[in-house]
Amino acid sequence: MGELVRHAWLVARKDLHLEFRSRTAITSALVFTALVLVVFEHGRDPTAVATIDLAPSILWVTFSFAGMLTLNRAFNAELENQALDGLLLAPISRTSLFLGKLVANLAFVAVVQVTGLLLFTLFFNVPVWKVWAPLVSVMILATVGFIAVGTLFSAMVVRTRFAELMLPVLLLPFLLPPLIAAVEVTAKLFAGRPLSEVAGWLRLLAAYDVAFVSLATLLFPATVTE
Amino acid sequence: MTLLRRGRWITGIALLLLGGLYVRALVFTPEERLQGLAQKIYYVHVPSAWSAMLAMGMVGLASILFLLLKDARYDRFASASAEVGTAFSLVMLTTGPLWARPIWGTWWTWDARLTLTLMLFFLFIGYQVLRGAVTDPGLRARYAAVVGICGLVLLPFIHLSVYLFRTLHPMPIVLKPGRPSLPGSMLETLLLSFGVFTLLYVGFVMQRYAIGERSHDA
Amino acid sequence: MTPDVVPPTGGYMVAAYVVAAVILLGYTVVLWRRGGSISKT
Repeated sequence: MGELVRHAWLVARKDLHLEFRSRTAITSALVFTALVLVVFEHGRDPTAVATIDLAPSILWVTFSFAGMLTLNRAFNAELENQALDGLLLAPISRTSLFLGKLVANLAFVAVVQVTGLLLFTLFFNVPVWKVWAPLVSVMILATVGFIAVGTLFSAMVVRTRFAELMLPVLLLPFLLPPLIAAVEVTAKLFAGRPLSEVAGWLRLLAAYDVAFVSLATLLFPATVTE
Repeated sequence: MTLLRRGRWITGIALLLLGGLYVRALVFTPEERLQGLAQKIYYVHVPSAWSAMLAMGMVGLASILFLLLKDARYDRFASASAEVGTAFSLVMLTTGPLWARPIWGTWWTWDARLTLTLMLFFLFIGYQVLRGAVTDPGLRARYAAVVGICGLVLLPFIHLSVYLFRTLHPMPIVLKPGRPSLPGSMLETLLLSFGVFTLLYVGFVMQRYAIGERSHDA
Repeated sequence: MTPDVVPPTGGYMVAAYVVAAVILLGYTVVLWRRGGSISKT
């Protein structure tokens, strides 16, 4: 078990190190976040539409885009120079490899999401701080679910033709439950609804995460076995 | 009799029964007071959704068996079921809005049930697009199996979300806990429709499997 | 039996039943043609 964690961390650290040096994915995600914020702000009639009504959608469009961008990056880096084959030959288990990738992906997405959220609270007058704890919980719960499936799929898709097109097509059905739940909960949080109203959604998200993280970990070896 | 032949026979019988269902539903089943004639779409829409879910379930099951037992026949079956499922999803997605429009005044809403039927359709499409994009048969079978299993696990979340969502969609009145609340004759028609559509599923899959077997292309 | 006056929603019902039949029969034909002619042995 200790070796599993250690190897997974090695893989994650390698990815994080690489990304920190190039910073491409994070930069484009941040630019996109700013873009979304500006577009939505200018698209609304301030007297008719309160920011708070748009807030959940703005946030989650940004967050899911960040996720998609991260996923595309994840295995593309490996495909160049056939680094993926090198990774597979390394004396680490498939499970470690997957978990490492997953952790790295989650770390990237987290950075973008947190930054996006901060930008959002800066530029909009939405009382995020009152509900920051449940909000962050929802962000984590929803993101873990679809990033797990996305990490699994990106491993497969990277070897197909039209890889960039395949991933969103395959992933879409798996994005919807966590996204719908996340937006519903976020909307209720901003509206000041009691937590009891979102408990059901949060349980659904948690169940989704448990199911798909386990499943993705279990199935990953099938995608890279020669 | 070859599999293809038997599949054709079963499909033929199922289509005849479908005709009988049509007559029974359109002519002999009482009209629902509040919704009018459009409510009868129920007898085609609901069983097609059932067949689509069944097809997805079978894809998932076959995918699990394929990964465990490495037998290409399971992969072939999954491929067949996915294609058949797509056809039933199409029926589901076209009859649904035709029912929604007169009853709710809109072709589409993004409520839970409709959104998720669309997802089921995308699952089938994605599965088949993936199969088409991978040239190596071994890799294709494994990748498809992974997606198939994920799709299967997704289904209960689909069903769960329906209950959580504030929705326009009629609450499940047959499969909810407790007794079904459809009056007798309507329930019979509905049960008949389930039988017909299931038989149709079987006939289609048998044919499609046989075709896949022959072309070795799944 | 069917009512004397067709309620406004009848058209949708007909459309739905027709579309469903077209799709199912269409798929039947597709499968039939892909199956090709089969030997009688």
